[in-house]
Amino acid sequence: MAIVADSLQGSGDALLDCYEPARGFDEAFESDGSARGVYRRIVERFGELDAGEAQRLERLVADEFRRQGITFTVYSEEEGTERIWPMDLFPRLISATEWDELERGLTQRVTALNCFLADLYSGDGAAIADGIVPRWLVVSSRGFERNAMGIEVPHGAHCNIAGIDVVRDAGGRYRVLEDNLRNPSGISYVIENRAAMAKACSWLFYDHATQPVEQYGRMLRSTLESMAPGGKDSPHVVVLTPGIFNAAYFEHAFLARSMGVELVEGRDLVVDGGTVFARTIEGLIAVDVIYRRIDDDFLDPVAFRPDSTLGVPGLLGALRAGTVTVCNAIGNGAADDKAVYPYVPDLIRYYLGDEPIIDNVSTYMMWDPDQRAEALGRLDELVVKPVGESGGYGVLIGPHASDEELETARAAIEADPRNWITQEVVQLSSLPSFTGERLEPRHVDLRPFVLTGERTEVFPGGLTRVAMRRGSLIVNSSAGGGSKDTWVLTPEYS
Amino acid sequence: MILARHADALFWVGRYLERTEATVRCLDYAANSIIHLRPDEARIEIEQLVKTLGLESVAAPLGSLGGRRQLFAFLLSDTANPGSVLSAVSAVRERLRSTRERIPIELWEEANGLYLRFREFGDTEIPPEQLHEVLLMVRRACLAISGVLNEGMRRDEGYEFILIGRMIERSVFTVGLLVAGYTDPRDVMDATRMLRLTSSLQAYHRRHGHAPDAEGVVRYLLAGTDLPRSVLSCLLRAEESLRGVGSVADALDGPRRRAGLLRARLELGEITEAMSQEPLPALSELHWDLAEVASEIAAGVVPPLGFPTASSQYLRPGGAPPDADPLPADPSAEPGRSLSPGIDR
Repeated sequence: MAIVADSLQGSGDALLDCYEPARGFDEAFESDGSARGVYRRIVERFGELDAGEAQRLERLVADEFRRQGITFTVYSEEEGTERIWPMDLFPRLISATEWDELERGLTQRVTALNCFLADLYSGDGAAIADGIVPRWLVVSSRGFERNAMGIEVPHGAHCNIAGIDVVRDAGGRYRVLEDNLRNPSGISYVIENRAAMAKACSWLFYDHATQPVEQYGRMLRSTLESMAPGGKDSPHVVVLTPGIFNAAYFEHAFLARSMGVELVEGRDLVVDGGTVFARTIEGLIAVDVIYRRIDDDFLDPVAFRPDSTLGVPGLLGALRAGTVTVCNAIGNGAADDKAVYPYVPDLIRYYLGDEPIIDNVSTYMMWDPDQRAEALGRLDELVVKPVGESGGYGVLIGPHASDEELETARAAIEADPRNWITQEVVQLSSLPSFTGERLEPRHVDLRPFVLTGERTEVFPGGLTRVAMRRGSLIVNSSAGGGSKDTWVLTPEYS
Repeated sequence: MILARHADALFWVGRYLERTEATVRCLDYAANSIIHLRPDEARIEIEQLVKTLGLESVAAPLGSLGGRRQLFAFLLSDTANPGSVLSAVSAVRERLRSTRERIPIELWEEANGLYLRFREFGDTEIPPEQLHEVLLMVRRACLAISGVLNEGMRRDEGYEFILIGRMIERSVFTVGLLVAGYTDPRDVMDATRMLRLTSSLQAYHRRHGHAPDAEGVVRYLLAGTDLPRSVLSCLLRAEESLRGVGSVADALDGPRRRAGLLRARLELGEITEAMSQEPLPALSELHWDLAEVASEIAAGVVPPLGFPTASSQYLRPGGAPPDADPLPADPSAEPGRSLSPGIDR
């Protein structure tokens, strides 16, 4: 391994001394230890810092987040505590050329997924009829919602806000790891990370020109307004939250504030005569578009879980009456089910007639007897994922698992093959990350956000999540992962 | 446009903010005054402060608060006491959190910062030697919050509801202080004490320029037109805000008229005249009326339901009805008995 600090000017006893790239693709350094083109200036800047200064900056950022209450909740912890959002100082940089490809690939993927959802719920099910995706697989998905059949949405845009998790493999190629088409979260942290970086490390930006991120509220509002039933002008848009105890409440409030709309809870809304109303001091005021951050099951106790106190009784009836639009639409889980994921490249070819710009990770479908037999034979080399979970829950990384864990996974797969996929281990790319003493490589992924209303737009950058332990591939914040500010560079700085 | 839930939450933000300030003033006063008193006098002073804050029913199960240490713990950091500073600060933070998208970011940051600084003490009792520092911290934070409210918040319905909550709570506190004064077992109305507990000493000196007399102070605290903390000033501001939000919310017209009536009775000297005959019943009635205004506002922010199917939706967790101050059946039957502060559950 190259000790790259030797190649840096002015690094002295700085943070990058003894930096050894991890296995896989290091985004900041070439294999010979020299900084990659877009990272050269950032690496130089960090080379001038010592641990004490980095700790001071880190405290500055943490204090800023604490003061603003930028937190998330980890349910598994006994206290259900709010944790300060962790952000690493070393940013991720994406060149304009790379971003262009990502943008095109993400637009293509989300467009195809929206086509599939529209086809499934309000079309004639052509993709299923033509055998692109097996019918049994779709209708057995936990995310498939019969109640949504026949509900048309404006522009056929079922997924208005998508979070597509992408990673870079050992060769540096972007690949889609998973699609999040229901309630992807994290965008508020993207914007707050940038604000914190701009305050604590403004000098880092001097050498670069990055695409701004503060326009998200405007973009989102415009997208949601375009979803109003009947193309209504100046529609009444609200954000629906489960309430202050939800893990992502900070984000819900952030989005409502940045759009300048009300953040409502289920009890603030009421349905009468097929119309949804907000309860205000002036009386009941009709609502046109609901950006809901509540899962399908909890949206309407009349149609779904009767014990839900978070939803709005009668909402599904209003949807059917066409007086309101719920974003994202009900039933999107049928398309982001991990069992459907292996078929997405075929869906792109089917609906758009193009080859996928961003590939999937090699995936094996455990309901296919041949693929299952092969995967079970080398489970210790694969990643095992339950199809219905998110946030990294239930994921087993074969090479890091004990014999007992592998046996448990094997038994679970054999008992219910429909519920599992296996994937080749992707040695996620890594970036220098501050450990409290020095910069060391840590694995990262990226969740860009894609908005679809009248048209599809990709928000520049996204949420870079970083594993906090050396060698760990788990980047989820609920599992102790952190984040990085993500810069999409303008062409002249790429 | 403001959601009924937000209006309700911001009304209580105003009340709890004001309560925080009032309790800190009481603690500050107690910290300076009790050290000069004999133990029996100190006990009476403590009881009077608890009565002024309307916390007798909360304090009763604890028995005698005895000395300074117990009083400070009870009023400052006892989370079982809904009237403690920590409880009030937590309540402010929780309600601002639930209305976060419509308030200035700085308002949330100040309230959150105050709460977090409090929580740094953990579950341990705040040591007496740090009391002054902690009280100063809270007072400064309250001033910062007031500054953000005045200079940084849009003059919308949310602002008006915070202001209404503050004015009502301030009036209730001041009248509660006077009621407690008239029932002081020491049989003396300490004019300076009343002025200190309402932060009005300097204003009184500037206005009247002589040693305060009890009757003059009571009149000043009730109807002083140049005193922003007088009940009259508070009612004027509350009435004005209620007129603003009442123009779109019919249900708030009732409390506006009731506040206007009380304001007129103070302006015309009707209440001070009644007090010259029987001070305690007159004050108790005023205290009751103010609590009624608060109750009607809390009820009024939830507009009459358009249809019965909706009624179950606005029930709070546990099925309790919208907030209402616990009130005795007949305020005149037991003159001098203090009203519990409204607690938003």
